[in-house]
Amino acid sequence: MGVSTLSEWTGRIGELVIGATAKDGGTRSHSVTIGGEEDLPYIGIPPSGHRPLVAYELSDDPELWPAAATRFIGDRVHDTAEWVAHADREYQPDLIRLYLSSTRERNFSDISRIGETVESVLQATELPLIIEGSNDPAIDSAVFQKIGEAAEGERILLGTAEAGHYRSVAAAAMAYGHSVIAQSPIDINLAKQLNILLRETGLSPDRIAIDPYTGALGYGFEYSYSVMERIRYSALKGDSDLAMPMISSAIDSLVVKEVREADEGDACPTAVAWEIYAMLPATIAGASIVCVRHPLSIEPLKTAIAALWNGEPKGGM
Amino acid sequence: MALKPLEIYKLLPKKNCKECGDPTCLTFAMKLAGGKAKPEACPYLDENAKTILGASTRPPVRKIRIGVGERAVTIGEELVQFRHEKSFFHEPGIFMAVTDLMTPGAIQERVIFVRDEILTRVGTDLRLNGIAVRSVNGSPTAFTKAVEAVEAVADLPEVLMAGDPAVMEAGLSVCGNYRPLLHAATSSQYWEMCRLAKKYACPLAIRADSLDALAELSGLCSAEGIENLVLDLSSLSLSEQLNRSTAVRQHAVSRKTPALGHPVCIDTAVSGLPDAALIAGVTKFGSVLICDDLSSASRKALLVLRQNIYTDPQKPIQITPGLYRVGSPGKDAPVLLTVNFSLTFFTLQGYLEASRVPCFMLIVDTEGLSVLTAVASGKLQETLVRDAIAKYNLSAEVAHKRLIIPGYAAPLSGRIEDATGWKVLVGPRDAADISEFLEKEWKG
Amino acid sequence: MPTVTFLPSFRKTEVPKGSTILEAAQKAGFHMNVVCGGQGKCGKCSVMVRSGEIDFDREKYGDFYTDEEASQGFCLSCQTRINGDLRVLIPEGSLVQEQQILVDSPGVPLEINPAVWKYALTLSPPTLDDQSPDLTRLLWGIEKSGGPKEGSIYAPLEVIREIPKVLRESGWRITATVALVPGGYRMINVEKGDTTSHSYGAAVDLGTTTVVVYIRSLIDGSIVGTGSNYNRQISCGEDILSRVNYAKRGGLEKLQALAVESINAALTAASNSAGIDRDDVYEVVVAGNTIMTHILMGIDPAYMIEEPYVPVVRRYLTTAARRVGLVVGKNSGLFIFPAVSDFIGGDIIADILASGMAESNDISLLIDIGTNFEVVLGNRDWMFACAGAAGPALEGGEVLFGMRANPGAIEQVSLDLRTLKPSFRTIRNQRPRGLCGSGLIDLLAELLRSCIIDRTGRINTAIAHERIRQGRQVPEFVVAWKEETAIGKDIVITENDIKALIMSKASILAACQTLMNQAGIGREEIARIYFSGAFGNYINKDHAITIGLIPEIPVERVTTIGNGAIAGANIALLNRRKKRVIDEIARKIAYIELNADPTFMDEYTGSCFLPHTDLSLFPGVEKMLDQCRILREQS
Ligand code: SF4
Ligand code: FES
Repeated sequence: MGVSTLSEWTGRIGELVIGATAKDGGTRSHSVTIGGEEDLPYIGIPPSGHRPLVAYELSDDPELWPAAATRFIGDRVHDTAEWVAHADREYQPDLIRLYLSSTRERNFSDISRIGETVESVLQATELPLIIEGSNDPAIDSAVFQKIGEAAEGERILLGTAEAGHYRSVAAAAMAYGHSVIAQSPIDINLAKQLNILLRETGLSPDRIAIDPYTGALGYGFEYSYSVMERIRYSALKGDSDLAMPMISSAIDSLVVKEVREADEGDACPTAVAWEIYAMLPATIAGASIVCVRHPLSIEPLKTAIAALWNGEPKGGM
Repeated sequence: MALKPLEIYKLLPKKNCKECGDPTCLTFAMKLAGGKAKPEACPYLDENAKTILGASTRPPVRKIRIGVGERAVTIGEELVQFRHEKSFFHEPGIFMAVTDLMTPGAIQERVIFVRDEILTRVGTDLRLNGIAVRSVNGSPTAFTKAVEAVEAVADLPEVLMAGDPAVMEAGLSVCGNYRPLLHAATSSQYWEMCRLAKKYACPLAIRADSLDALAELSGLCSAEGIENLVLDLSSLSLSEQLNRSTAVRQHAVSRKTPALGHPVCIDTAVSGLPDAALIAGVTKFGSVLICDDLSSASRKALLVLRQNIYTDPQKPIQITPGLYRVGSPGKDAPVLLTVNFSLTFFTLQGYLEASRVPCFMLIVDTEGLSVLTAVASGKLQETLVRDAIAKYNLSAEVAHKRLIIPGYAAPLSGRIEDATGWKVLVGPRDAADISEFLEKEWKG
Repeated sequence: MPTVTFLPSFRKTEVPKGSTILEAAQKAGFHMNVVCGGQGKCGKCSVMVRSGEIDFDREKYGDFYTDEEASQGFCLSCQTRINGDLRVLIPEGSLVQEQQILVDSPGVPLEINPAVWKYALTLSPPTLDDQSPDLTRLLWGIEKSGGPKEGSIYAPLEVIREIPKVLRESGWRITATVALVPGGYRMINVEKGDTTSHSYGAAVDLGTTTVVVYIRSLIDGSIVGTGSNYNRQISCGEDILSRVNYAKRGGLEKLQALAVESINAALTAASNSAGIDRDDVYEVVVAGNTIMTHILMGIDPAYMIEEPYVPVVRRYLTTAARRVGLVVGKNSGLFIFPAVSDFIGGDIIADILASGMAESNDISLLIDIGTNFEVVLGNRDWMFACAGAAGPALEGGEVLFGMRANPGAIEQVSLDLRTLKPSFRTIRNQRPRGLCGSGLIDLLAELLRSCIIDRTGRINTAIAHERIRQGRQVPEFVVAWKEETAIGKDIVITENDIKALIMSKASILAACQTLMNQAGIGREEIARIYFSGAFGNYINKDHAITIGLIPEIPVERVTTIGNGAIAGANIALLNRRKKRVIDEIARKIAYIELNADPTFMDEYTGSCFLPHTDLSLFPGVEKMLDQCRILREQS
């Protein structure tokens, strides 16, 4: 009778490429492709599409970063490029996601510094990059222009477009050949709406990654989990406005009560567990990129993803 | 296959005789569609309607109980493949393993841990569920001893893990009356395991190399009279585990392969990646999860993940409206207004605690809607705020009249000021920015 | 008594000194706009006193008028007392605008089949040979002239008491009136002479703010008079909830009396305008929302607004009209439309009846829009209904330059896709003062078509155009420059206004979708959409579809039925067979509580998009928008 998974899907998740090598006019050592799935996550042996990736998140303003993450890195956090280089070397994430948190400071205006930071980070690593800009309509346009320009040719993934402000991100991405993270607050309809809005600005669908917003484990994670499942399900059912790969980051993982109040010796494992127990399920729900802030979360997460992906047993997590 | 009310209505006799307890056949159809009534309540169904309605209301995954008493675990009875379709009903039981190579002291330490350890979150006690006893030694007496050690300190549900029926029977001689799960029958000894399952009226796990073989074995066991089966899908390969559990759920809910309409068991030690296997098990259809020792961090995260995945997705979890304190706020402490959607509440509470500014949180009843949707749907209104200020006697708690509202509620600021007479400060949209906000706007 | 002459019609009336101008105007049969119920709060009842002695506190109500207006004699008619003969001009804006009322149901031809008959009889006087009693004589007479069988007519004692005198004094030429009531035939009146031409019935819409009465001839169905009045309960609270609370605090009797008074006043106005005697009104049919009809019957409505929201009665009620205090013919009957739930009241049942959807095999969707909305989906076999709050935006509330459909309101707008220049039409062609509901819907559709707003309603400020600008808080679009307006200010629509409109339209579309999902019905299966309520009358149906207020179906299948409550009441009055239909409707409807429906919130967010997140639900709109986009890109 041949019992196996049932798939009556008609849709396919689009592919999104991040990073450009010298051949494509960039300076990355390699590019990565996400998406391309034709079935539920990890289903099929081997599964369709591309393996989910792990991004390491860091910030140009360590003051605004969770202590649980910076503590581990030490003084390097004050030099963004050094932080990036160190993380690349020591923890080998698939991607680096840089938050230009300094733009969130009050009355921020030092646009040129943004350009310098981006350039120094491009120097410090050859990994494909995700870069997060500002969140203030007054400066968005200038900031995204600057990031776009500084990373021209590198095919970065640029964040974040939201329903309230998406035009400047989209414009910068289109002008300099980047892709866009489209973030909506835990709702399949809102995710779809934003994709339609972006499409109507002229941004091509293969330049969009959906970020359905991810609550931390125990703090609404289940809503995000289900929204991701629904998005993937609808996409496979043929809804092309949702057929983009997803990126998930439970950005609050390291500041939730459980992690903040863990006993001294347990602090580090709890931080890692809180990230892994949200991000691995996120890949199972359909995320193509999952993000962590604790460097020790990277390796076990990559191992687990690999095991779910190609079925090879690999010990020690 | 969920039928729509109108489709069901078309199957009903349309007599509107009220004998089902509903005023019309259509309202009865709505209840049936929502699972809130049983088809038998209508005495006039024809055979065709009975078959269609009967089949669509019986749960496609069999319900099974393991253990007895207060801590007994109910699993199965699931209806859907995705939690958003309705809900997952019965949380998987998590069983911590002991072996018959361990000393009774070591066994009991673990059992007592499972018995006593509680993690309390959102007003619910989260705990591990039971003990799995592995036969490693191979001798019936060693197994008996191990089971005795377990029984000596707790009445927890058990999984007896022994491939040799003789060893299994030795274990059952100790705890056979307490409905342990027998793990596991295979094609080479299933009839003996079935005999034991029948004799002790216990649920039985079955194991085979492929899903086809498993479905066949399930049929054989049914033929032996054992219906309370659990399908063991443990695998060296996590990919295989996930693919198989998905296939089993799909075949069960689509009723394509009724022989697979049973709960799933996963021994997460098998893959060598216990955390990943547990995560895959909790999210994708595991009902019995067996693990060896778990770190405290993993255990907490696992219990919370399980709680998250098994909450009813259609019910936004709500916090009781009221006045909450962060730290010990004084008369001049800030008051922050927000909604009673638990995610919003906990996130804000977390950031407030981190900010170390003692303050009050005024939680109003938006029926669990987030700020964004509560504003959009008109649930969050100035009158709600006004009434809450009066109800929780805010004026007696603080000596000022300044209220911080969420950034997304900014459109209401004027109206809240008018209705309450309080001065409104519009806070940040993102709870993460609250600390900075308090620093600059409140103190400054 | 002072005489008040109303201009421009020169209609005159006499009232005691000290009465208000409002009272005089109502007595003269004008349907004044009394939104606040005559409390001096709304300013809608303004009149211009041309000459004569009045008492009006200019100080207290100074806010309502500019000095110029005050010098022209403007005052609040409800707060102005009459001291002597007056000449008063009533501006059109102060009159309730006559609504287009359909008295036929669009789907079903109107039949005249009333429940009351009059028989003019010439009876032979009794003799020693013919000693049958008066009543028998009368009943035989009825049977002989084609009426019901003698034995099947019940004559109540009050009527019997009249018989001997009437028969003899009239010389045995009398008219008997027989009504069909739930118990059978009932003789309700005997009069001298032939009065068969005087047979009337009254249809009443008992609304929360207004009461409307139609008097119809029960012989040929013609409309002989109409009247309306504000609901005097307004003095006990403006909205329905405050009325219920008032009833809870022991005010039920007062509310009931006020409801009766309001209907009586409207009846007076209607019978005066018809020039008929109210005693010749033999049946009164009332449609009203659940709370109103419960109060009219003196039934405590308190429990209906608490979970699980059950009405006390879910079938129609009949009684003698005089028993509740209505001043009509002595034994005339009162028929009250049934209610299904707190929100689905007799007014909605009347809508359904008027639409004819309950008698058709085709599936229809009926939408009644006000501050609250009700949606009904179904056909002759089954029916789902739900209700919800749409917010005031669609009626012009909570919108910066929103206003009711009064003179000066922009009621139609279109934009030139190339120049983005608006052209508009205002009510009574006055200089614009604001935008009313239909104008707002037009504007929303046009802003979308011209790509000035995106599908979430955000204004694209990147477009360089003088009409698109940053307002005080949010971006806005200028509809009319201040030089063109009557208010000396630019009339704009802000992004917040647009959001409020989208939320309102979304709740209605989401309600439609939820019912359709429950029933498993796609939009292709909907044969008709009916709009009822004043709102539906003026709206551009194409635009209603463009913005996703209603599901997309071919626009010619969208019909407006105006005030469905009064239409339904008229139909039931004229055709007694419809009363059975009414009862069936009430029993058939399955009420869906939107808040308890897990899919509603999802549908709502999906609908907070123009026209809807699922673009495939609006294929025609999408095609049109694509073309507009191309046009815009070219210019
Ligand atoms: S008992 Fe059956 S026939 Fe009677 S009303 Fe209920 S569903 Fe209809
Ligand atoms: S002011 Fe409202 S009716 Fe006169």
